[in-house]
Amino acid sequence: MLFKTIKKQAFFDFYFPDFQCVGPKKVGINNNGKPIYQFLPFSSFDEIDLDYETTEYSAKTYFLPYKETLSSFEFKEDDWTQNIKYSTRPRVIIGLHPCDINGLIKLDKVFEKTLFPDPYYITRRQNTFVVGIDCKKPCDGGFCSSVGSNTVTHGFDLFLTDIGDRYFVKIGSDRAFNALQKIKTSEITKNDNELYLQTRNKFEDGFEKTVRVENLPNLLDIEFESDVWGKWGDKCLSCGTCAMVCPTCYCYGITEHISMDFNKSDKIKQLYSCNLNDFAQVAGGHNFRPEPATRLKYRYYHQHRGFVESFGQPLCVGCNRCGRACLSGINPTDVISDLQREQKR
Amino acid sequence: MKKIMVPYDIRHETDMVEPLDFNRRSRLKEVDRCFKAEITNVIRLTDMEKLFQIRMVNDKDWERFVFLPGQFVMLELPGYGEIPISFSSSPSIRSTIELCIRKAGKVTQALHKATRGAIVGLRGPFGTYFPMERMKENNILLIAGGLGLAPLRAPISFVIENRADFKEVNILYGAKEPSQLLFDYQYEEWHRIDDINLEVIVEQPDKKWIGPVGLITKLLDDIKVVPDKTYAIVCGPPVMFKFVCKRLSEMGVPMQRMFVSLERRMHCGIGKCCRCNIGSTYTCLDGPVFDFWTVMNLKEAI
Amino acid sequence: MKYLGIEPQKPKIAVFDFTSCEGCELQLLNKEETLADFLNAVEIMSFREASSSSSDDYDIALIEGAVSRNDEVKRLEKIRKNAKVLVALGSCACFGGVNRLKNEFDLKSANKEVYGNNPKETINVRAIKDIVPVDIEIPGCPVSKAEVESLICHVVWDSPFQLPVYPVCVECKQRFTTCLFEKGQLCLGPITRAGCNAPCPAGGQGCWGCRGPAVEPNYASFFTIVKEKGFSDIELKEKLNFFGAFQEVTIS
Repeated sequence: MLFKTIKKQAFFDFYFPDFQCVGPKKVGINNNGKPIYQFLPFSSFDEIDLDYETTEYSAKTYFLPYKETLSSFEFKEDDWTQNIKYSTRPRVIIGLHPCDINGLIKLDKVFEKTLFPDPYYITRRQNTFVVGIDCKKPCDGGFCSSVGSNTVTHGFDLFLTDIGDRYFVKIGSDRAFNALQKIKTSEITKNDNELYLQTRNKFEDGFEKTVRVENLPNLLDIEFESDVWGKWGDKCLSCGTCAMVCPTCYCYGITEHISMDFNKSDKIKQLYSCNLNDFAQVAGGHNFRPEPATRLKYRYYHQHRGFVESFGQPLCVGCNRCGRACLSGINPTDVISDLQREQKR
Repeated sequence: MKKIMVPYDIRHETDMVEPLDFNRRSRLKEVDRCFKAEITNVIRLTDMEKLFQIRMVNDKDWERFVFLPGQFVMLELPGYGEIPISFSSSPSIRSTIELCIRKAGKVTQALHKATRGAIVGLRGPFGTYFPMERMKENNILLIAGGLGLAPLRAPISFVIENRADFKEVNILYGAKEPSQLLFDYQYEEWHRIDDINLEVIVEQPDKKWIGPVGLITKLLDDIKVVPDKTYAIVCGPPVMFKFVCKRLSEMGVPMQRMFVSLERRMHCGIGKCCRCNIGSTYTCLDGPVFDFWTVMNLKEAI
Repeated sequence: MKYLGIEPQKPKIAVFDFTSCEGCELQLLNKEETLADFLNAVEIMSFREASSSSSDDYDIALIEGAVSRNDEVKRLEKIRKNAKVLVALGSCACFGGVNRLKNEFDLKSANKEVYGNNPKETINVRAIKDIVPVDIEIPGCPVSKAEVESLICHVVWDSPFQLPVYPVCVECKQRFTTCLFEKGQLCLGPITRAGCNAPCPAGGQGCWGCRGPAVEPNYASFFTIVKEKGFSDIELKEKLNFFGAFQEVTIS
């Protein structure tokens, strides 16, 4: 990894012509007076705040849109042709936290590095210039350090750490290196390294929430029939909010829509959630997971067992967006520690 | 705040914009692109099931379309939707594939209206298959319940075509009523020409029915198995294969020698959408064919 | 387009209004970009807002509004006899709608309140399905034109027609709306069927449940949350009763 430092002001001089620029924008204030941020398109750096604590939604929608036309069929007589278009719009996303970038790395595993690489995802991912930034302090309920998502070493183009008047910059790609050639940067000094490590250590010490996850693959199997699922399942509204705000939930459904002139049909992919009622319903109406509890269990099972078996790490990045968004107060740290307690009894 | 300093355009980087030429393991670059195929014949089997004979519109596509018994294909009906269907025909027939489809959901309902000449789309083939080569030189038990005979017909065809490589072959088939029996026009051929012992049982006989009556497990009473010389393929609803496999287990057949095909509603077929996950196993990638040991270890499989 | 060997049928449709604001009918004539195609896809036999002709020869009856008078019952029964497919269009037709609020009051005093000394014949408000069998329901206040179009495709091509089973929350999230509970408002989104694309929460108004319950909503948990957030039973009841769409549940 190559490192540089860059004066804060110099970074804000970066300019991406014809790009859609996306960053953390303040969209409002919640009940408790806390600002709410979302990753939204911006046109001037004034509109974004890189010192934000966390965003309400993850940035996954810029890689996996909630709704996307996979292909369209054009009808002619008895025949049809299938048209497929990939989104190649260049985009810069500035201000992704380590959890979001780790989320992208996990999505890369699913969509790029498997038997059937997904061209829809890959074109978006490749055409997005990712600028990450370290958090100032752990976010409310965040437990990223427990799932190894509090730091990143790849998956970005540039990664910034605030060390006072300058950013400590990790350069993650050749295109980022080329871009930096054109603005003023400095080589890192021993002092910079020292400052960087101090900043990081201070951050690490700030975590209030920790949860053990390394035993979860085993635990989830043993506790498959546990009452814990019923307890949290009874609260679950099956509203899919957790999956929608999650940086890594990628489940979807496909439907087709005939146009009103009957000449065209679009095959539309919509991100779904395993908590929604008909997620595991098959033709004829049988539902393999009819109760909220079994659906909720499945979500944890996939994140902390299935994904671990396939890729050696949990799918969860510990951002606790689901926990904050859930009206019923279902959050991963409580559910998991409940399970662990069950185990000790 | 002032901006404009370093115009930097990632689009100038090579290989950025278009989808990459994916790694060689993938046979499909455009994962959503269908092979165009034509329905050449529709055969009515029962009130609920029809057999569709389908061939590629472009002969060249056959080169990229090689399947094995037990695998499935995503059948696309533009405007209606896409559904996973197991192959019902022999992989060695390189001109036509056959799909046996029950009128169960909205897409299949539309498909049942289709006539000869309709153009559909095919994606695939996907999933695991029955290890037919490994089963050679053994006795084979092919057991189907209800619609299970549809996917089972692919391995049956394989066995028939390679009859000399297999020892004793038994087909056990159970249905609710005689009117629901699939492929009844083939039974005699299987029995008389292909030297297969075929037993059919129904739960609710009609007046003409002279065969055995009861559940499929009853047919196992009269079958002698040599446990370490027998393979079994069991297709049918979960309750059915659960009881059949349990019974076979008691008869000494190792669970790794029993194969089942699981039904889930795939939306993508390529291990992305998670709709077919059992626990956290993708039925479309790691299945639909599993040995029974694996099924026993999958949470919520049965 | 002729596909799968299916010949397209131009369905003969008729639109009828009962007790309602006629907004759903107006909605049928909305969405200009596809309006011409929409009108081309169907043959309108009777539609007071769009056509002067009127005929009893129709396949599909789109019913807007609830039933609140005895003569409406008779009219509805006659329509049911004529129609092959009867569609309840909008919240009034599906649940009784805002009109149903009348049932909370004594009929006589309600009549007096509205009509003063010229009382009209009136009965308790009922949904269409309470009077005659309904084949398809499209709830919403007003109804979503996209869903009506999907219904027409369904009728012409037998393509799948299904309302979302999931609650409004999904659609709020998919358009980056901040949860209204976060902002101290009561919202029925978590128990209400999606499909409207959540315009009210996006505009800062909590969902009023005009599309009725999602599939198997978790009422118990939702009511607990509402209480915990400090809303009274009266506030909740007011929301639930507004469109009359939550008759199936009572607040314990």
